[in-house]
Amino acid sequence: MSNTSGASPTAAAGNGDGDGLDPQDAAALLRDTTRRARRQLEPFPPLMSVVRAGIALATYGTIWLTVRGQHPYHGPTSLDIPIVLALAAVNLGAAIVLARRAYAGVSGKSKLRPVEILSMALVWIGVFVVMAALPGAGVSREVWFGQYMVAAPLIAAGLAWAGIMAVRANWLSAGPALAAAAIGVASVFGGPVGAWAIAALALPVAILAHAIAVTVRQRAATTRP
Amino acid sequence: MTDNELDPVIHAPARLRIVATLAALPDGDTLSFTRLQDMTNLTPGNLITHLRKLEDADYLASERTGNGNTAKTSIALTGHGRAALDAYTKALRALLNGL
Repeated sequence: MSNTSGASPTAAAGNGDGDGLDPQDAAALLRDTTRRARRQLEPFPPLMSVVRAGIALATYGTIWLTVRGQHPYHGPTSLDIPIVLALAAVNLGAAIVLARRAYAGVSGKSKLRPVEILSMALVWIGVFVVMAALPGAGVSREVWFGQYMVAAPLIAAGLAWAGIMAVRANWLSAGPALAAAAIGVASVFGGPVGAWAIAALALPVAILAHAIAVTVRQRAATTRP
Repeated sequence: MTDNELDPVIHAPARLRIVATLAALPDGDTLSFTRLQDMTNLTPGNLITHLRKLEDADYLASERTGNGNTAKTSIALTGHGRAALDAYTKALRALLNGL
């Protein structure tokens, strides 16, 4: 560690001393600064989580509306797939932009390590490789579209993310990931139609619960003199 | 300084903003000079001056890496700095409760 530097000291300290700063002003400044800093450093802002809950509801709900009256079952239509992919892309894009913004200039334990990013990428690739191989293996459309497509991503990605976060002792992120995995397991028992309904209802609830937990933590962490 | 006195090193608007901002980071994380400047809305010179005062008190540690245009300064609160902020908060609370 060395002396602070990084730019030229071009300006004087200005009104830096505490003369005239009464305790109430100091308390308000401390509270506001802490809240703002917590918000700016949060990679999963509660408001964005509310939007993501809506995206999850729209994604799984759209397919549930399609498959609920099908006899025989043939799964999502060709119209559903682009909608779902677009919603998933918006969700992923927003998550990346927000995480990059929150972690800008931050170094240390909070940032994902390359091995963790690689692990998550491999999990997702594995899920889709198996998904692509299932029809060739003689798996029915009910199992392929109705159960694997709902359950496998939630269980695999949920458990992998929960594991990474648990190693970091980040329980606030591990909790919802475990919840997602549990929803995936529950959807297996919902049948080819019920699986989509379970995910459409439970996943937004889990995401909203996480948003509430983040909000509570931000407020609890705010120093209240 | 008694328990109920406000630590003069922290009790200044700019330094209070710096310390509170760095305290929002998880333990083990550091913040770059430019991000800290952005989050505290201080000029570079002003920020450097206050960082030096905090560093002299052993409330924060900074590390410079690279040279020239690629130089980057990372800043974090020390354990002593976190303890000082806790003590400052307690003193502030005691003062406000006594009003």
